Amino acid sequence: MLPLAAETGGHIGGAAIGVCPYARACVHEVASQKDADAVVFTTTCDQMRRSAELIARSCNVSVFLFHVPATWQTNAAHGLYADELRRLGRFLVRLGGSAPSRDELARVMREFETARSAVCEARGRLSARQFSQAIADFQRDGKVNLESLESAPVPRGVPVALVGSPLLRGHFDVFDVVEKAGGHIALDATTSGERPLPAPFDRREIGDDPFTVLVSGYFGNIPDAFRRPNSELYVWLKHKIAERDIRGIIFRHYTWCDLWHAEAQRMKESSDLPLFVMAIGDEEGLDGHTVSRIQSFVEILR
Amino acid sequence: MKDTPRQITLDEWDARYEVLRAAGMSEAAYGGPLRRHVKDGDLRLLKLRCDNSAASLRLWNFLLTEEDRLHEARAAGKKIVGAMKDLGTVPVIAYSSPNLVAFYPDGAWWIPCVEELNAGLLRIADSLGVDESFCPVRAMLGAFLTQEHFPIPDLLTCSVGATCDDFSTIAQRLNGLGYPILWWEIPNRRWPDPDELAVSLPGGFCAPRPQVDFVKSELERVREGLETLAGEPFDAAALSAGIKKANQVRRLLAELRRLVFTAEICPLPALEMLIAEMFAIHFCSDQNETIAVLQDLLDEVKNRIQANQGFFSGETVRVFWVNPVADLRAMNLLEECGGRICGTDYLFSHALDEIPEDLPPVEALARMALSDPMVGPAADRAERICKDIRSFGAEALVFSRVPGASHCATEGKVICDVVQSKLGIPTAEIEVPPISDSLRPTLRSRLEALIETTKDQRK
Repeated sequence: MLPLAAETGGHIGGAAIGVCPYARACVHEVASQKDADAVVFTTTCDQMRRSAELIARSCNVSVFLFHVPATWQTNAAHGLYADELRRLGRFLVRLGGSAPSRDELARVMREFETARSAVCEARGRLSARQFSQAIADFQRDGKVNLESLESAPVPRGVPVALVGSPLLRGHFDVFDVVEKAGGHIALDATTSGERPLPAPFDRREIGDDPFTVLVSGYFGNIPDAFRRPNSELYVWLKHKIAERDIRGIIFRHYTWCDLWHAEAQRMKESSDLPLFVMAIGDEEGLDGHTVSRIQSFVEILR
Repeated sequence: MKDTPRQITLDEWDARYEVLRAAGMSEAAYGGPLRRHVKDGDLRLLKLRCDNSAASLRLWNFLLTEEDRLHEARAAGKKIVGAMKDLGTVPVIAYSSPNLVAFYPDGAWWIPCVEELNAGLLRIADSLGVDESFCPVRAMLGAFLTQEHFPIPDLLTCSVGATCDDFSTIAQRLNGLGYPILWWEIPNRRWPDPDELAVSLPGGFCAPRPQVDFVKSELERVREGLETLAGEPFDAAALSAGIKKANQVRRLLAELRRLVFTAEICPLPALEMLIAEMFAIHFCSDQNETIAVLQDLLDEVKNRIQANQGFFSGETVRVFWVNPVADLRAMNLLEECGGRICGTDYLFSHALDEIPEDLPPVEALARMALSDPMVGPAADRAERICKDIRSFGAEALVFSRVPGASHCATEGKVICDVVQSKLGIPTAEIEVPPISDSLRPTLRSRLEALIETTKDQRK
């Protein structure tokens, strides 16, 4: 989902005190959909878990709440994820879908893998903003539409990473702001960016047991703040920061997003790089004050 | 000596203590005048009004000496388990071994209140990037770092998954600072799909068999961790005995709650009842003494009911209270405004329900853990609240938001909506910070408005 920011006060749950703007935007987005029969929420954060209930109580749409285990180091957690995926399949069948055969699932996964590779390979040909938007679009519907995008010159600004909570549709201006200040976002490690992409599927194993490959590809590769422990997030970031020669981190979290907010200070302590923290409220875009702070941060890095 | 029930100040307690002693009151080893806790920094006592019975004195002294007990346990060679977030499950396993003592580090959330912010724990949390946008349980970080409020546990466990983000992130921050944690998962409780076997849970909830089996496997993992720490295995018999002992506490609390919440004249004030209920979670680091303290309170309550003695007038409004308050003084305030507590959901209803004794012990514990009101939909929690409101005869509901808590952003509306539509009783949402003195006029207005509205509805 890549929602627009919700208008303040337009929240289904009523009083919006303490509600994360992203969770609120998701609820708003779902509630304004006229043609959706079902919506899938996950439990990766408490507010989204509870948003699923708000939607179920207020909208005429079937809701599936997928429990993504926070723990990941045990076979039981792996098994629970697989069971939830099977349960999602049964839910979709009840809505009128049909269970795919092994070959059908393998075919879809190969197509996904091709699309995934295409979008990942586009990095460097596209501007940082185009690349992140392409990934966000791909995460939303699994489709890649790169033909309409023009190749952009390779950016020469100081490389920075964007880390943290997912972007809303109106938040991509941050890429332009960074470039105008003499930098470029060489790593979009937000939840709408590269970080949550599944690991590449093993094409040789897809044919034998596609479901197992699917589970491993996703559950085996979630370097996110919600995991317990979330040490893999730091391992992933360290690798990517070195790979892309990152010189500074712009860390973004929504107001009331505990999961990412609590990581800001820890990331500052654990990284040798300068880190700039952006707290995002209900606004659709960046305000002048934030723009000027981002510019100052990038100028310092140059 | 007059033994009329009264809520008295600490100054009055000084005199009352001497009277009780002169009358031959016997005390446990941790007994003594309440005043000494103020000297230890528990300044909030100066602003509270406490019940004047010897049983309540014992309750307070037991509560405020937990740190000493933990140090004594360690000195005696016992291992200490910090059971975080599950609110009542892991301690039942831990207390099945004579070599272990479990406590509840999350309880540090009351330190800023009890010590009136002088402990500096919230400042430490701020310095770690966990500011006031988080639940006051962030004080726990400071308690670990200062090592002044409890001994550092030999093993930390933490329930994650369908839990609040505040605690999960604070525990992760602790882990990132170098404190190892045994994480165990509790999935989001849901109603069984049409093709799944349903399992009844304590408290009236229901869960699909695969979820119960998953939690069982997680608790087996916790048990292994505790066995390693204890240096001996816990067999099913030991766990069953542990469950029976925990149920002793739960039965005492159930009786206490039933008597206090349904009595014509309130026999025990809200503050003492809140503390008594909290003991269900981890037994205040001494299971046997918890039973003795609760038995004392129950006897006192029975005596008062028999003598037709208690608190407040017949006009007092019977209030159901949802969520614990960060500032204990808020419980006094409700009573000053003309209310009395007749039913509670302090986030751990599952720790008050009896654990099934006719099931294999880990299966029983898994069912209990899944009946946690916080791991399922807020509407389920609301249904249980409605059931309790009916059974205790409450006439109004207060939903007390925990400042910054992820669950409070939306669940209050759901719970109040369900209660209003099913029972038609007035509800109010308030928010109580660790020290609420500056908000007291506002809180008073909100509570008085609720009380007045409820009285109007009686007509």
